[in-house]
Amino acid sequence: MKIAFPSREFDDAVAAMCHGSASQEQAWALNELLRGNATARDEYILRVELHSRLASEPDLFALGSENKNPSAENILPLHSPRRSHRKLAWAALLAACVALLATGWWALQFSHSSERKGAASKAVAMLNRVVDAQWNQRDETPRLGAPLEPGWLRIKSGLAQIVFYSGARVVIEGPTELQIISSSEASCRSGRLTAEVPPQARGFRIGTPQMNVTDLGTAFGLDVKARRTELHVFKGSVEFQAAASTTKKTLKESAGAVLESSGPAKLIAANPAAFASLFDLQAKSSVAEALRYDQWRAASRRLNQDPALLVHFDFDQAEPPGWRLHNRSSRSDIAPDATIVGCHWVEGRWPDKQALEFRGVSDRVRLSVSGEYESLTLAAWVRVQGLDRQFNSLFMCDGFEAGTLHWLIRKDGVLGLTAIGSGSGDCQIVASPSVLTLDQYGMWVHLAVVLDGKAKRVVHYVNGQPVKEKALKLNRPFRIGAAELGNWNASGFPDDDPSLIRNFSGAMDEFCLFSRALHADEIRALYSEGQPQAEPLVRR
Amino acid sequence: MRGRKYCTAKQVSLDPKRHPEHHADAQQRFLSLFLRSEREIFRYVAALVPNVADAEDIVQQTALALWEKFDAYDPNQPFTPWACRFALNKTKQWIERRQRWRALLEGGLAEELARRREELRPEMEARLRHLEGCLNRLPDEQRSLVEGYYYRRDSVEKFAENSSRTIAATYKMLQRVRQALQVCIENAAKPEGVSS
Repeated sequence: MKIAFPSREFDDAVAAMCHGSASQEQAWALNELLRGNATARDEYILRVELHSRLASEPDLFALGSENKNPSAENILPLHSPRRSHRKLAWAALLAACVALLATGWWALQFSHSSERKGAASKAVAMLNRVVDAQWNQRDETPRLGAPLEPGWLRIKSGLAQIVFYSGARVVIEGPTELQIISSSEASCRSGRLTAEVPPQARGFRIGTPQMNVTDLGTAFGLDVKARRTELHVFKGSVEFQAAASTTKKTLKESAGAVLESSGPAKLIAANPAAFASLFDLQAKSSVAEALRYDQWRAASRRLNQDPALLVHFDFDQAEPPGWRLHNRSSRSDIAPDATIVGCHWVEGRWPDKQALEFRGVSDRVRLSVSGEYESLTLAAWVRVQGLDRQFNSLFMCDGFEAGTLHWLIRKDGVLGLTAIGSGSGDCQIVASPSVLTLDQYGMWVHLAVVLDGKAKRVVHYVNGQPVKEKALKLNRPFRIGAAELGNWNASGFPDDDPSLIRNFSGAMDEFCLFSRALHADEIRALYSEGQPQAEPLVRR
Repeated sequence: MRGRKYCTAKQVSLDPKRHPEHHADAQQRFLSLFLRSEREIFRYVAALVPNVADAEDIVQQTALALWEKFDAYDPNQPFTPWACRFALNKTKQWIERRQRWRALLEGGLAEELARRREELRPEMEARLRHLEGCLNRLPDEQRSLVEGYYYRRDSVEKFAENSSRTIAATYKMLQRVRQALQVCIENAAKPEGVSS
């Protein structure tokens, strides 16, 4: 093979080099060309430079000047200028490696500007309750608690409650098509809805094909069909304007109006009973939640019988919560009950279930797991409050010993698994893209990571979906030994180094450690069985 | 210590004379210098091994080598060129075990590329200044591909699936987008009156 310059072959070979897909023949031919042709060489250098610039300058992709990526200086730990007491020489030496791993290697993953998505969020409302909701399959299924940007919500059946940032609360019943326009405006093409508008949201507007409704601080219902809209005022007053007219009319409590595509508005009496199913949302959603909680408990009992499940903290303790955290797995010989240090008990995924909240720098759960393993899987339900530290611990083995793991979330929402090998510098960091964005703070998220010593790979999962897979370079065995949830015991390293403070800020409501590599469908099952609300059934 | 080997065993044995306080300072100094030069080192390596994942591996190994030899660094010298010498060595060691890259860089081409790239730097910088503006002018789909590939590091498979293209077609599209960007920065860098 020979490559001419300029030529299509040259273009393809350079691209293949950049993409890592070049063949041996292409490599030889390119080498020959570049050694003999100075113009081709210069062109090659420029093309590769463009490619490497794109890969190494996240700032290029910043949306605006306020979203600049933190500079290198900003990601350096702010170190305390004085170290008050002498450390053992080895401890300080080791700390250097820890810090190098902590900041240096991590930085190599080119920290991407983290708060971009959140800071630039265009959300104007959020979906805060659903009951048996089935969404139109053409759209992305909205997640409970998820912020909603302007756009269409198409519910096929079931109920959903949307809270607009202005404070207005709208319940829709499927089939309904609602377009969210802004934090104080929506439009309904067809379907049924009720709206409750507190005083601060006065002026909230909903348009239908026949009329525009402006709320003056009330509760009202709309029944919208292609050629007919019914408006029922339950409380307060509402102003409406027929689409074909320029005059506005005000309707008082208990009054209603019917507008058809042609013809004047017809006044009727409001009929709350016609909207009874929408008013039931609250009651129905707590029943649905209790059901989900029961389903999860049943799944949990099944899970506990898996002999590979070494640790299972369900944070579901009947007795007054104390400092002991029960390991529900059948392997308490390997992993005894854990100890809670600090922490607070808070509401978990369901109102009747508990979770453990980590807030302070000393909050942690200490556990220990004996044995050596070829593969390991970690999974947890967490609610991130904020990513305060450069590294926020999910699960970290003490110190820095060979064969152990650190599972954490970096400040910019990147999930990381560090596996520590036995030789010098023999550590591997597998970082996901930035997956935990501001939008997800305060929501229950299922995180998992699979370290597969046999297939030699590491896979990160978020909500049952793989987000990053990478080849595992280290050799088994892996071990846990002494470890912590939500914090890290640096184990002899200088404790005044801020990069070593890695406490988690948020709550955890379930934690599993398996001594095998779970398959993708098993991770998906863990997620779907533990989801706070059932997966909306999208029928195809 | 439970008799286990530490990840850093070698560093410890390399540095028996280092005083702890001195050492902690050295660590901070090193990190500060390294992080400031990291992107530059990456691009130096990528000029030789353009595949991003491979180049990142080499930079990781370079970081460790630099730390091991940090004692020998003269603070009066600029850090980046010093680091790049290590990066060149690490790159050569790395390609030793990889036929394809060896084939690309053999016969002194690695050194020649590194040398010539240095010469071309001012000219390239002048063009690359326009990269952000050119990126912003890309049509949505192309921009989203570039952003996915380079910034979010999504897999090409994912983009291919979402856009109902084959993987090969997606790589081809990526290649074309880079070509478009190159034309754009070259036009933008031309003296006034010539630019489009």
